[in-house]
Amino acid sequence: MAAAALLALAAALPPGPARADELERGEALFDLCSQCHGSQGQGSKLALAPAIAGLKQWYAERQLHNFKSGIRGKNPDDVAGLRMHPMSLSLKDDADITAVAAYVASLSASQPASTLEGGDAAKGAALYAVCGACHGPDGNGIQQMNAPRLVHTNDWYLLSALEKYKAGVRGSNPKNANAIMMRGMAAQLADQQAMLDVIAHIETLARR
Amino acid sequence: MIEYYVVAASTYAKDIDFLFDLIFWLVGLWFMATSGLFFWLIIRFRKREGVPAQYISGEKKDEKRWIHLPHYLVLVCDVFIIYFAVVVWYDVKQDLPPADQTVRVIGQQWAWTFEHPGPDGKLDTADDIVKVNELHIQKDTLYHYKLEARDVLHNFSVPVFRLKQDAIPGRVITGWFEATMAGEWDIQCAEICGIGHGLMGARIHIETADQHAAWMAAESPLSLAAYAPAQK
Ligand SMILES: [Cu+2]
Repeated sequence: MAAAALLALAAALPPGPARADELERGEALFDLCSQCHGSQGQGSKLALAPAIAGLKQWYAERQLHNFKSGIRGKNPDDVAGLRMHPMSLSLKDDADITAVAAYVASLSASQPASTLEGGDAAKGAALYAVCGACHGPDGNGIQQMNAPRLVHTNDWYLLSALEKYKAGVRGSNPKNANAIMMRGMAAQLADQQAMLDVIAHIETLARR
Repeated sequence: MIEYYVVAASTYAKDIDFLFDLIFWLVGLWFMATSGLFFWLIIRFRKREGVPAQYISGEKKDEKRWIHLPHYLVLVCDVFIIYFAVVVWYDVKQDLPPADQTVRVIGQQWAWTFEHPGPDGKLDTADDIVKVNELHIQKDTLYHYKLEARDVLHNFSVPVFRLKQDAIPGRVITGWFEATMAGEWDIQCAEICGIGHGLMGARIHIETADQHAAWMAAESPLSLAAYAPAQK
């Protein structure tokens, strides 16, 4: 009776933190990820693998599904994506994807060191007004807008992502509506300087 | 023998299989003969009461014969293997028969990109069809492949063709194949190329002329543009 009441209560509650066994499974699976993304998910430029520690679970999960189905990363010009696509194939089912995404989300996020130069954060702040509408004024991402965080990841990764979107290397698969939307947004950044400016502003958000 | 496990779907697959068979039977025969002799000697000269063991230094002529004779016979077998291997190697790797079609194959960590010539039959034109991990070719058509690597060593391996060719960054390696059977099979990377090497698989779709024409019509960027001219 008490157990049934507890179960009903548990069912009524919003999904809480990931279960312990799920995290354990996720940690075991993360061993493969860590080869490029680092043992703490801190990222590695050499491996073209961005920092993923503390990425929201919904976003990590969705991207793993996208990589697996090939609507992300399966573009002949997406060098990093073509590395990630086969890796996602090693996750055999949805439960594995959920587990590893939960583990990634459980890692503590931190702001990686800057590697880019020449960005003007003040100019970037004006450009960021558009980004902030979906990614949030603090750059932490908004799930309702399908927008991931922009802070706590590498500046070189943000630049390569913007360049890929602008060139249509990302955001050209008709089945990936969110990426298509982002491609339209990236097209509004006039040149690489504008990208550097907006990234410089995002870095100030992370330090705030 | 091998086609029992992996179908032979190229014109030269049978030649490669013949070499496998030749080596299998020659080496197998020698393996059986030497093992047979070995066990026969062990049993024939086993320990017996009152018979002391002998130390044989192997210097007498009739003792050395046990080495020399098999040695020469093995050399004769080697000559057979080398002769047939060179003939097959020449056909598959050195001779380049004229192409009906040319495809570009690009290996990178960890995917294969295939550039198909499209309806005009020429590479590097607007109607090229570029696919990741999907190679579409027509049966009974002689293809040249232009093999490239973007980062590290890879190896373009099509088991049903019995084809393996290293891909080397900075080089464009030209080879050929002609499929004899329609179907869909594996392509793999056969040169360790990093942590994703084992997952670097692709599929080869060997199509009849009709199927291939239909695929091209559906996939060519020009025919897609005809449907959606506004996009760009
Ligand atoms: Cu490879």
